[in-house]
Amino acid sequence: MATETGQQTGGEADQGPFTRWVGSAIRNPAKAYRALFYVALVFFLFTTLFPLYWLLVLAVTPQRNLQDIFLTPNGFNPGVFIEVFETVPFHIYMLNSLLLAVITTAIVLLLASLAGYVFGRLEFPGRAPLMLAILAISYFPPAAFLVPLFRLFTGNVAVAGINSPTWYNTPGAMVMPFSALFMPLSIFILSTFYGQIPEGLEDAARVEGTTRLGALFRVIMPLSAPGVATAGVLTFIAVYNEFFFSFLMNDGQVAQSILGIVSSSNHWAPLLQGVLAFQTQYGSLYNLMAAASIIGVLPVAILVVVAQEKIVSGLTAGALKE
Amino acid sequence: MGNVTLEHVTKRYEDVTAVDDMNLEIRDGEFVCLVGPSGCGKSTTMEMVAGLTKPTEGQVYIGDRNVTNLPPKDRGIAMVFQNIALFPHMDVYDNISFGLRLRNYDKEEIDRRVDHASDIVQLEGMLDRMPDEMSGGQRQRVAIARAIVRQPDVFLMDEPLANLDAKLRVHMRTEIQRLHKQLETTVIYVTHDQAEAMTMSDRIAVIDSGELQQIDPPLVCYNEPANLFVAGFIGSPGMNFIDGDIVDDGFVADKYEVEFDPSRFGLSSGDDVTLGIRPEDVYPVQNAGRIANQSKEIRARTDVLEPMGNEIFVYLVVDEDAETDLDKPGSGGRLLMSVDPDSDVEEDQEMSVILDRERVHLFDTATGEAVQHGLVEASEFGSASAQAEGDD
Repeated sequence: MATETGQQTGGEADQGPFTRWVGSAIRNPAKAYRALFYVALVFFLFTTLFPLYWLLVLAVTPQRNLQDIFLTPNGFNPGVFIEVFETVPFHIYMLNSLLLAVITTAIVLLLASLAGYVFGRLEFPGRAPLMLAILAISYFPPAAFLVPLFRLFTGNVAVAGINSPTWYNTPGAMVMPFSALFMPLSIFILSTFYGQIPEGLEDAARVEGTTRLGALFRVIMPLSAPGVATAGVLTFIAVYNEFFFSFLMNDGQVAQSILGIVSSSNHWAPLLQGVLAFQTQYGSLYNLMAAASIIGVLPVAILVVVAQEKIVSGLTAGALKE
Repeated sequence: MGNVTLEHVTKRYEDVTAVDDMNLEIRDGEFVCLVGPSGCGKSTTMEMVAGLTKPTEGQVYIGDRNVTNLPPKDRGIAMVFQNIALFPHMDVYDNISFGLRLRNYDKEEIDRRVDHASDIVQLEGMLDRMPDEMSGGQRQRVAIARAIVRQPDVFLMDEPLANLDAKLRVHMRTEIQRLHKQLETTVIYVTHDQAEAMTMSDRIAVIDSGELQQIDPPLVCYNEPANLFVAGFIGSPGMNFIDGDIVDDGFVADKYEVEFDPSRFGLSSGDDVTLGIRPEDVYPVQNAGRIANQSKEIRARTDVLEPMGNEIFVYLVVDEDAETDLDKPGSGGRLLMSVDPDSDVEEDQEMSVILDRERVHLFDTATGEAVQHGLVEASEFGSASAQAEGDD
């Protein structure tokens, strides 16, 4: 370092531009930090945005040109986004996914509210270990209980002579594991929020005529709206993005019309199966798969744009609890 | 209707007994204050009446119903909280009508009652405000309106004025009294401020360490405290206490001598007693002309004066070597005297004072129980306290 500064002061004229920059950065470290910041920024932007760009490139390149593309689309075929819906009933796959996510979110918010009330507002022995145990569930690898769950949902487990219900291919087979996996985070978020609502407000509600449950839903939940929104949005996104059970707990079939969803419980393949439906035994329609992926990302992207402020404030509010 | 009875009510938490075998009988329409120092169990007692806390033992009755196991909403009570506890996400109208809406009253009835209640607490024209747009006093009035709108049998008020500033507190004190007169509903009022209790209530229940010490009208608690705790708690500043012994012709302590015949009060020579005397019953000798029953003179030096306007508190040093009363209550080394504002007293002045024997209280030092109020009985002078005792 000393020698570098020595050189720097020795003769500026015969140094290259890089050496000169290094010299000035040493005298002014903020410059180096700024440079590193831009390096990191470019790196993260590239790793997050390039896959999306690549999807777009794949999607708009006509099928026959797919063999030779480099960084830019080879040809331009925007019709692919309509073709997606013509080839398979992709809108029904999407609707299935949205419905599954909404149902799971509703179940999670309801049950996690009850649990969050208990963990956040009541004192009882073993509260902390129990909370840890619940959080541990969310880190459990789904692969570990896939086989038993599959046997259970296909009616192959008998307890006292009664076979388990055949839930394979129904929404239940997906909603149940989703709820179990994504519940712990919501419980954690909601318990910190509910714990911050003053005791007096709950007492007041109970004296005024609610039960404890009534106080939870009429006073504590509305006052914890940012927390409830955070838990809800995170659950929704997690379910919508889920791969494992979405792939394995159904046969990939969907109803042929929107009304068909309501009438049958057997056609609940989510978005993921919709993308995979372009992969047939005769070949893979990569441009359609890419277009379908882009369409599939849209609802979550919109949700995040709308709710991101709430999510961030919700997460930090929990973290900053004094 | 609105009478409240507590029978052997006890509340134990893991390591502490918050309320210990409390028996209380509150009549319909009565205004009763529960007073005591922080942590004495008065709030727990109220929570058990409200149903927010379940007693470990004992029964709670409201009216003729045993409500011990009923949830708060079914007890016919309304409560005003120390932290006011308005629902911050609802406007004033929704706050006041919350209980009525839960009970499915029809819209017109709700409107009529909300109007009436907001009329009583003077909240007209504020019904669409949010709680955070209101001042402390306004919020407290909304809380009171929320309580009266349901026409409960019993009002519970848990230090409702504690968070208000001093001036507003005095104002709201009168408001609540006016309200009680108007509604004629039973009120149970928790406070640690004995001045509030003295001025507002029909009867005061003094509570200490989870036990009921005395429940009587304010002036009885003041003039005839049941024990040392009540004597020290009621009245501001508190009573002077002097530990001493009974001898054949009265009470003696280091610097004090009060003559009386111990046998008349069931005392005998050698008993340990604590003498209690309120500051206003201590007189400088020169002002004591009209006091019929004086104790022996006590030599003292004035220490600090606190002129209050209508009276002067004089801190007297009776024994220079004794520790202060704060360090060791009952030593008798310090004595607090209240004199007229026009009295001729200065700091660091030697003077003699006397105690009014009619107003002296004697307590058993060991148990703290009151032995005698006033050392002159009815047959001799007809003092007020002796008469009251005769009535019993």
